[in-house]
Amino acid sequence: MLRRGGKHRMYELIYFALLALASIISGFLGSLVGLGGGTFLVPIYTLYLGVPIIYATGASLISTIATSSGAASAYVKDRITNVKLGMGLEVATSGGAIVGSLIAAWVYAHHLASIIYIVFGIVLLIQIYFQLERSKFEIPKPAKPDRTTKFFKLYGEYYDQALKQDVKYYGVRWWLGEIIMFFAGLISGLLGIGSGALKVLGMDWAMNLPMKVSTTTSNFMIGVTAATGSSIYWMYGYIQPVLAGVTALGVLLGSFIGTKVLPGMKNKTIRYIFTAILLFLGVEMILRGLGIMR
Amino acid sequence: MKNMVEFEDIIGWALRIGVIISAILIIFGFALIIMHNGAYPYTMAQLVNPHSNVNTKTIGFHTLITGIDNLNGVDLILLGLIVLIATPVIRVFIGIVQFAKEKDYLYTIITTLVFFNLMFAIFIIPLILK
Repeated sequence: MLRRGGKHRMYELIYFALLALASIISGFLGSLVGLGGGTFLVPIYTLYLGVPIIYATGASLISTIATSSGAASAYVKDRITNVKLGMGLEVATSGGAIVGSLIAAWVYAHHLASIIYIVFGIVLLIQIYFQLERSKFEIPKPAKPDRTTKFFKLYGEYYDQALKQDVKYYGVRWWLGEIIMFFAGLISGLLGIGSGALKVLGMDWAMNLPMKVSTTTSNFMIGVTAATGSSIYWMYGYIQPVLAGVTALGVLLGSFIGTKVLPGMKNKTIRYIFTAILLFLGVEMILRGLGIMR
Repeated sequence: MKNMVEFEDIIGWALRIGVIISAILIIFGFALIIMHNGAYPYTMAQLVNPHSNVNTKTIGFHTLITGIDNLNGVDLILLGLIVLIATPVIRVFIGIVQFAKEKDYLYTIITTLVFFNLMFAIFIIPLILK
């Protein structure tokens, strides 16, 4: 029964190679613009490779654990990641991830997958704003320390390679950070992405932390958020072993290449091209969700 | 201070080793699937087709039941994915130990809460909903 005609096997191997290629490209693009692989992966899988969104998000969520853990191990060693800050905010992201993935399960059980397409599209379009506005100031203007600064010990220090100096910083408004992190976790569980942009927003904008600390700590947190959501996805059967396996490996490889090829991503033109891709995929996801395009 | 620095190295290593082990398991899994043109009882076509219902709900672990001699490609991939999910869990656990050793009780409690959320998602929710 396992023996099949050569022609069929050829078709399967080609499809398998396409999945691998798509996930490598997604991981590569994601690491260049500082987004997880999922942002590009889920649209490419669902719009062009015919993967049902339920399995696309499952594979994507698992793959974000791989990229997060891979990248975080380097940043933790460089001492830029603020482990305390990350752990504190993970209470909210993991809680949000539980709520988000249970909402996803409810949505799929009621055959409302089009909602996921539309929300995904909207999230992609919102990311454009962050891409264009991002990091005008590498180090934020100091704000007055508040009660949470002291209570949660939101102090830190790191060596900035680009500025060639030690940067001392502290965070404020811990509670606002937690609220935003809850929604970041919820979006992660609902859409199967790392939702790193929202996490960075919580630290950068709400807690007034330096961009480097926000991005690396966000990356550090994505693993826990995604592990929480993934285990619920696992229980509901949203994870196809072959698809998830090839995606995890592909995205990991792609993001690894990305970090080697273009450290820093300072080039404006490339960023505009990626923004155009985000716009295109976002609009297409919404159209698919609305049933205008299949 | 010295203690904290060491813990950050442990966390970094734990993450890296977890990802490497997981990647090796998944790669061997694929090698076995391609070699056997499938993984009993599934054909290659069923495994690769994104519309098939071969998923984490419908598959049982065959290796765990029949023993390691019937080593199955899909089981290896699933094992790799479990290691991947377990990596952040271990990282959080190391965090609890770290903060407890530093006598930072506030963060010991906070990190325990994160660990509880993970355990809740992994073990308790399936118990409640199944």
